[in-house]
Amino acid sequence: MIEVDEKKMQWSEKMTIASILEQMEGARFCSVVRLNGRLVSSPKFSQTQVPDKSILQLLPLVAGG
Amino acid sequence: MGQLNLKETKSVSYERAEVKKGYTDFSLRVNLTTTDIFINPIEAAVKEKFIGGKGYDLWMMWNAVSGDTRWDSPENAICISSGPLGGTPGYPGGGKSIVTAISPATGIPIDSNVGGYFGPYKKFAGFDVIQIDGKAEQDTVILIDGIENKIKVFSASDLPKDSYEMSAALTHHFDEDKPVNVSVVTAGPGAEKTYFGCLNFSWWDSGRKMVRYKQAGRGGIGTVFADKRVKAIVARFGSVSMKTNHPADLEALKKVTKAHAKEIATLDPKQNRMSVVGTTHLVPIMNDHDCLPVHNFKFGSHPESHVIGEEVFQYIFDKGFDGCWKGCTVACAHGVKDFSPFTGPYRGTKVFVDGPEYETVAGCGSSLGIFDAQTILEINFYCDAYGMDTISVGTSIAFVMECFENNLVTLEHTGGMDLSFGSRYNTLELIHQMARGEGFGAIVGKGIRRMKTIFARDFGADPAFMQDIGMESKGLEFSEYITKESLAQQGGYGLALKGPQHDEAWLIFLDMVHNFMPTFEDKAEALHWFPMFRTWFGLCGLCKLPWNDIVPEDNKDTDEPAKVAKHVGWYADFFSAVTGRKVGPDDLITMSEAVYNFQRVFNLKMGYGTREHDTIPYRSMGPVTAEEYRSRADRYDTQLTEKYNLDIADMDTDAKVAALRKIREEQYELLKDAVYLRRGWTPDGIPTVETIKRLGIDYPEVLEVLKKNGVE
Repeated sequence: MIEVDEKKMQWSEKMTIASILEQMEGARFCSVVRLNGRLVSSPKFSQTQVPDKSILQLLPLVAGG
Repeated sequence: MGQLNLKETKSVSYERAEVKKGYTDFSLRVNLTTTDIFINPIEAAVKEKFIGGKGYDLWMMWNAVSGDTRWDSPENAICISSGPLGGTPGYPGGGKSIVTAISPATGIPIDSNVGGYFGPYKKFAGFDVIQIDGKAEQDTVILIDGIENKIKVFSASDLPKDSYEMSAALTHHFDEDKPVNVSVVTAGPGAEKTYFGCLNFSWWDSGRKMVRYKQAGRGGIGTVFADKRVKAIVARFGSVSMKTNHPADLEALKKVTKAHAKEIATLDPKQNRMSVVGTTHLVPIMNDHDCLPVHNFKFGSHPESHVIGEEVFQYIFDKGFDGCWKGCTVACAHGVKDFSPFTGPYRGTKVFVDGPEYETVAGCGSSLGIFDAQTILEINFYCDAYGMDTISVGTSIAFVMECFENNLVTLEHTGGMDLSFGSRYNTLELIHQMARGEGFGAIVGKGIRRMKTIFARDFGADPAFMQDIGMESKGLEFSEYITKESLAQQGGYGLALKGPQHDEAWLIFLDMVHNFMPTFEDKAEALHWFPMFRTWFGLCGLCKLPWNDIVPEDNKDTDEPAKVAKHVGWYADFFSAVTGRKVGPDDLITMSEAVYNFQRVFNLKMGYGTREHDTIPYRSMGPVTAEEYRSRADRYDTQLTEKYNLDIADMDTDAKVAALRKIREEQYELLKDAVYLRRGWTPDGIPTVETIKRLGIDYPEVLEVLKKNGVE
């Protein structure tokens, strides 16, 4: 089981950030997430595997400085 | 604290105007040449049109300078205003000052939005805006005392030389018992010796019991300050509450303040964690999206970037409340305590470093090839203490390093300093030289535009190559984002009124990542709305971070998530509650549009402000060199073949660079056309008479400037 934006989600092997976001509504504009406290950006979503018991937070649109 | 040598040369008692609905409706002018002090009412029509903050500053400046005024002319005026909403405790980002002057870098008005308590204290002391002009014959300190209701001018000697020590000394001097009552604006020795001097605005950190600082960095206002021989401006005022602005509707103000503050406090920990890491979260994000400037904006990422971002600074920043205004829940003004520099006058002592923010990390770190948090902290500290803008310092040195690596500048020119990318010690030495006005640092301190002339004239350097890699536009150094893949943000920089600073528009992700604006018209619309709304913060005395760096959880489901409609609505409520002037979200844009166009005409008055001045270096549009092209060959090859239908089979890299350049430069010109049209400007980038009339700024002198430039 993992937690995505404070909601429980079933974990599966080879789960990536990209595959998680594909299952979610309203994640179209997500370009950065925080995975277990570490920032990961969209160019790395498909190659970043999500371990079991992970905590994932979707960050809002990046707005710059 | 040693005895300060301040000799009072002028003292004026005044009846302090009560603040009503966010305004005092009075201005203060101090002429340094004569030491005359003027307190004047602000006309209702000016208030209606220019709102406050940057609007008031520009109006005062417009009336102070002529088209022949240069940055070091006595009549050049430094104006500081907070705006009607500034000084609202508890409202996130509710205590900003906006500073303006004719810039030594650009020759046109520069504006800088800065934290610290000065702007609100100055307003509560009785003045919506202050204007400092003339030139003093000796070092001068100005006191605006809202407790004793006196304006005093002092001649000063034996003051501490650097900005940090001077602000601390003056804070204690003017209110030893309650240092929280004092805010000081200072420059520093670097501001005297370079063209990118900044101003440090102080506030008293009650938790740490020390003076803290934020910087009005851009465009060399500190240099103007030093040229006028002003050592400091001090504002003094007593306790502040939500009632101090005498809002029109206190209950409505409490309601909107509570809502916004609560949302920030609840959501920031789940989003960007700015109360913990400031803006350093942007380092890994920009790096991963190829937007972090590396080696003078040549590249957009680096494998060592993880040692200079939030991953490191979350542990280095000192824990405690870091709001640069009272009760701000964003509280992003972090610092590092007990830092021990290994060079310069503070070598071996322990100091508190205010920062770094993202811009400093990127400009004085990755862009210089320096991936070392300690060196970045030391550069940050000395730039602040010397009074120099970290963005211009970083971007200028990055230019020098690329020139050095291309043998345009050699050891002979640098006094033997190896200024290859990554040269940490020599970067620090260069900064110390800048502050002393000595050696090669004296040349670097003039900024990129002047360096290009000097390097070509004295060193025989190739002007065309320097034009391509020198990251300046209008004479101002770029802030720290790679824009090669975002045409909209190329416009965000190149079409910004004061020069390439991202506070007008930051569209990189909307454009490059999300493709929200596929057409020129879409981009032009964004380059209308965003600069107008961001301008509004500067009119009112606010910080923009609480608008769109922390957003409602359901924001992504709205029609236009980039605009953060819920917060825009709150800002309209905030304005209505304080001023009593009932407005909706669209009214905020109209307010800004008048001031924005006025500033464009102001540029024109100063001899700039047309299409040719919106030029940007090719480095900001695409790969200048074959090396740069090859670093992203797949991307560029794909664009040439699939997007532009070119056959590249027989092209070598140089030919591909040239082909891509032709396309991108043409696109930038088309973008200009679209933006000018959307803004109601001529194809030469000048507001039309129709636009000026629609916005109600068709003053005779404005129309005269247009007429002189062929627009009538």
